[in-house]
This record gives sequence, structure tokens and C-alpha cells, in this order.
Amino acid sequence: MHSMPVTTPLFLSTSDARPMYQQIVDQITAKVMAADWLPGHALPSIRELAASSRVSVITVKRAYEDLERAGVIETRHGKGSVVAERTELPRALLEEELGRHLAALLACAARLGLAHTELHRLLDQAAARDAQSRPPINPSEGPLP
Amino acid sequence: MTAAFTLSGIAKRYPHFTLQDVSLQLPEGQIMGLVGVNGAGKTTLLRLLTGLVRADAGAVEVLGQCMPEGQVAAKREIGFASEDMRLYRGQSLHWHMELIRRIYPGWDAAYAAELVRRFDLRPQQIVAGFSHGQRVKALLLLCLARRPRLLLLDEPTTGLDPVARLEVLEALADVLRDERRSVLFSSHNTQDIEQLADSISFLHQGRLLASADKEAFLDRWRRVVCQGAGMNGVAAWPEIASARANGSLFELKVRHWEADLPARLNAAGLAVQRVDPMALEDIFVTTVRAGEPA
Amino acid sequence: MSLNVPIIRLLVAKDWQLFQKQLAAHVLGGILALCLLGHGKPWSFYFGALLLLVVMVSAACFSISTALLVERKEQTLAFVMSLPVSPFDYMVAKLAGNLLTFAVPFGVMVLGTVGVILFTPLPDGLFVYSLLLFGYILLAYSVSLAVAMSVQSEGWNTFAMIGSMVLINPVIMGLGQIEAISSTVREDAIVWSGPALLILSSEILLSLSAIAITAWVHGRKPVFH
Repeated sequence: MHSMPVTTPLFLSTSDARPMYQQIVDQITAKVMAADWLPGHALPSIRELAASSRVSVITVKRAYEDLERAGVIETRHGKGSVVAERTELPRALLEEELGRHLAALLACAARLGLAHTELHRLLDQAAARDAQSRPPINPSEGPLP
Repeated sequence: MTAAFTLSGIAKRYPHFTLQDVSLQLPEGQIMGLVGVNGAGKTTLLRLLTGLVRADAGAVEVLGQCMPEGQVAAKREIGFASEDMRLYRGQSLHWHMELIRRIYPGWDAAYAAELVRRFDLRPQQIVAGFSHGQRVKALLLLCLARRPRLLLLDEPTTGLDPVARLEVLEALADVLRDERRSVLFSSHNTQDIEQLADSISFLHQGRLLASADKEAFLDRWRRVVCQGAGMNGVAAWPEIASARANGSLFELKVRHWEADLPARLNAAGLAVQRVDPMALEDIFVTTVRAGEPA
Repeated sequence: MSLNVPIIRLLVAKDWQLFQKQLAAHVLGGILALCLLGHGKPWSFYFGALLLLVVMVSAACFSISTALLVERKEQTLAFVMSLPVSPFDYMVAKLAGNLLTFAVPFGVMVLGTVGVILFTPLPDGLFVYSLLLFGYILLAYSVSLAVAMSVQSEGWNTFAMIGSMVLINPVIMGLGQIEAISSTVREDAIVWSGPALLILSSEILLSLSAIAITAWVHGRKPVFH
């Protein structure tokens, strides 16, 4: 029980601008989306993950709570957490991330003094360029690479 | 909830320094980070917890024992390593390990051997030849290998090279696995506290400015950059800890962030450009310079 | 107050171990002194007696210095205080350890000197005289120990140790002035005169009081600081 760490630690970094709990949430979400961890896979206990990743228990707790709210994991009382069964869950988190990007986009446009019509035009231009450089994204196919 | 220790209304007076009105509690299984400038009272606090000093007022209870009366029983389960501690210069690390082994039944020889390897120490080497980093690691090893229920560490990573610091943090993180063991450590490396601590206690000039859940504490602070014609008295708002101006750019350090603050700043003529969380180091310096409760 | 005997034993053993090299040096020096004393020539007697006094004084000072003063200065005291000991346990351990590390060379020297005096051509009258001197050294040691346990200042401790040891000279002269003692020194018989008995018993009594008072005063401290 005390000697070797049993969990491979997550890659958390202090040079990353995101707070620790956010990094944990993002990495676990990425693992679930990449099918590293399948639905039903038991997550390491909060203490175990905290110890192996060298972060405080409270940070992991907060990350697990966020993950549960987003529906990525399910916590069974007294029996730890597992990856949730449904597969479309990461959507909520991605939508949240999109919302953040939109807010940043609007703020940047405001600094440039762009009107919303101008912003729309730039977005259309960018989308067109993007469509030329890669195949369209099909939501019904498997997880993104 | 079992408390690893509880301080209630503690006061301690020295000729040039007074610790006053300190009430603090560490629930079992948690790590608490103690932050403060030199001379803020951290060492006095640690001595009160180990029963080496008796408070002038208030009560100290550690691992169920009243201090300082119960200091012997408490110290059996406390691992204390402080900056001013030295080992016997003419003796080897092995000699010290043997001494500790004979005193504490909880000594885990296998774990001690593992720590010797991880900390890259040589047991047969005489202490007089140890570098600062080796000395700190040796003291820590003597504490950790006994698996004490409460670890009280004064600056465990200060003055260590980056590799040694990481080794110490890894060893501390291992303590986390046992939910019955608790840690209190003070550090100038605020990053260590930010990462490992469940709660943060902030001592300044003998008073406890804050003691809170780390995430909640860090969440209350933001650095806001805004643009406008002038500050319009915003600097005097109670939630603003510090404000700096550079032409039409203003940088505010906010100690009590509310979701409606950007709107209120807008109303005061300041357009919010960006809002960022603040690192503990920044919070620490800002609070000390502002001289007010965090 | 309950005593934590196992820890006290360990602390005394630790102090004993730390003192090993110095102990050996002192015993060797003492043996050399005794050989010189017993050699029989006036010059060897003089040097032997001098060396003996030096060894005794040195044993007293180093014993106190290593166990108490150095521990404080080198901050190993902080390390000891973090162990499961109360201030009372620590004081008992220090007293016991100190008395032990001094008693061994002291005892060896006293017995050795007595042996040399009785079993060599040296006049047996020296027996009483030497005991009086050893008695004084014991007193000087006890006082220095009391001071070391009570006072942190290195200056005062040095003063107490050196001061009391330097007073040996006046003591020797003083003993020489006392008719009853100086007259019997050169005789080859052990003569216990009134003044000799009085002096020896007060030396022993004062030594014991110094230690007892120190123990009582320090035993009542509830905390180290």
C-alpha cells in the first residue's frame, strides 16, 4: 500500500497557463475521447491520483466534480469513480471551450474596433480557407485523431 | 472530522514580536501550506505545535494531546524538521538512522533504504561533509521513514536545487496516500504550496490573515487589466488590493472577485481587457504590500 | 513527573558515544601522569602532578562543553528536542550523561593516584592532600555544570569553568598554609586531621548541593524554550 505508485501520473505542468484542476479535467476528457479509458473503466481514487501526480487532494476532487458535472465520469458513493457510459458527453465540455473561444474572439474584435459584420466576413473567409486544407468533419464517425 | 491539530485563540508575546489571536485547524489527511515573510511568526507557530513553547493565551491540541503537557506523547507521532536543526557533525547518516530506529517503533527500514536511494544520499558519509541540500534531505528522511501521523516541516524545499526539490515534493506527495496522515509545511517556494496544499494559511506580523481551502482562496483573486480615462476612485473599492496606472492602461489586483465586477468597472469608465487568475506568489506579495487582510 | 527511561538511556548512550575519543585521550594522559608521579624523581613528580591536574581540569571542561554547550551552539539541541522527550527527561539525561563522562576519567585518576601514592616510595601523607585537591576539582566541576545547565551565554560558561579551575592555585597555597595539613604531607602515614576532614566533607557536600539545586530548578521547566 505504501511503496510503489500504482497509477501512471497525468502530465501536469506549472508552465501551462491553465489552473491544475483544469489540466486534469482536460487530460481525463482527452483520454476518454481517445478511448484510452473506456466506459466503465475505474478511475484512480482521488488520493491515488493526487499522490502520483503530485497535486493536492482538493484539486483532484474539484476536477472530478467538474468531470461529473460534465457527465464524463460517474461517482458511485463509497466506490470511487468510473468513466460514464454515454459517449456524447465530451460535447458539453467542448461547447464550453467553444464558448470561451467566442468570448476571446469578441474581445479581440472589440479592441480592433471591428463591427460584427466585419467579423462575420473574416470568419467566412477563414472557414473557406480551412475547408480547402482538410476534409470535412463528420460527427457520426469515430473520435477525432 | 478528526483534527490533526487545533489552535484556539493563541497569543504569544516576545520582546520584539507578538503572535496574537491565532485560531487554526488542520483536518486529518490534509496538507496545509503556511505562507508568510520571515519574522511573521511561522517558526513560533511550529514550536507551539511541537510543545517547545507554551502559549500565553489560548489552547493548543495536537493529535489529541494538550500541548505542551502532552508533548512527549505527541512527539512520538510527529515528524518535525526545521531550518535551525542540525545533525551531529562527527557522525554518519547511518548513525542517526540507527538512533531514530531505536527510539521509534514505527521505523520502516525498507522505506528508509528506498529514500536513501531516491534522495541520493550516502549513509556512511559523515554529516560534516554534507551540502545544504543533503542535510535538508537527511533530516527529512529521518522524519519520513518513521511514517509519522503529523509532519511539521519548516521550509523543506528552501535552498534546494531543482532536482532535490522535486525529490522532496515527490516524497511529500507519497504521504498523501494515507488518509490518516497530515502535513503542515511552510515554504517560500509558493509554487510548492500552490500545487500540493489542500489549504493555505497566511501569517503576517503575528496575525493570521487568511486560512482557507486553496482552490477557494486562489479563486477569489484576479488580475484585471482595463483601459479608460481614469481610475475614478476604483482603487479605493474594498475588493481592490492594488491598482497601477500606465497612461490609459490600468492593472488591478482584485481580492474578492465577483462575476459582476467587470460590469461595475465598465460603469466606472474602465473597459476590461483581460482577466487572469493570480499565482500564489503574486497574491502573497500583493497582500503584504497592501498590508491588509487577504 | 514520569521519566521516559528508554529515551534517557539512549540519550546518555549517545553522549557517551560522542565523547569516546576524548575519553580515551584523557585516560591515556592520566596514565602517563600517574607513571610520572610514581617514577620517584622530584622532576617527574612535579610534571606528573601538573599533568594530572591538567588532565582532570580538561576532562571536566570537555565533558561539560561537548554535551551541553556544543549541543546548544551546533543546534543539535533542536534535533534532540524534536524527539519524544520532555525538558525534564532531557535534563536528567544531560546530568546523568555528564556525570558519567566525567566520573570515569575522574574515578580512574583518583584510584590511580591513590594507588601510586600508597604503593610507591612517595610519602603516604600525600593521600589526604591529593584527596583534598580532587575534592576541589569535583566542586569546580559541579559548579561549572550547574552554570552550564542554567546559563546560555558562552561567555559566562567559559568564565565559570576557567575561573574555578584557575582558583586551584590559591587553593593549593591555602592548603599549604594550614598547619595541620602541610605538616603531615611529607610523612609516610595517612593522617586525617580535623581541618582536612572538614574541607573534604564540605567540598563533597557543596558539590552535591550544586547538582541537586540545578536538577530541582530545571526539573520544573515545562517547555524547552
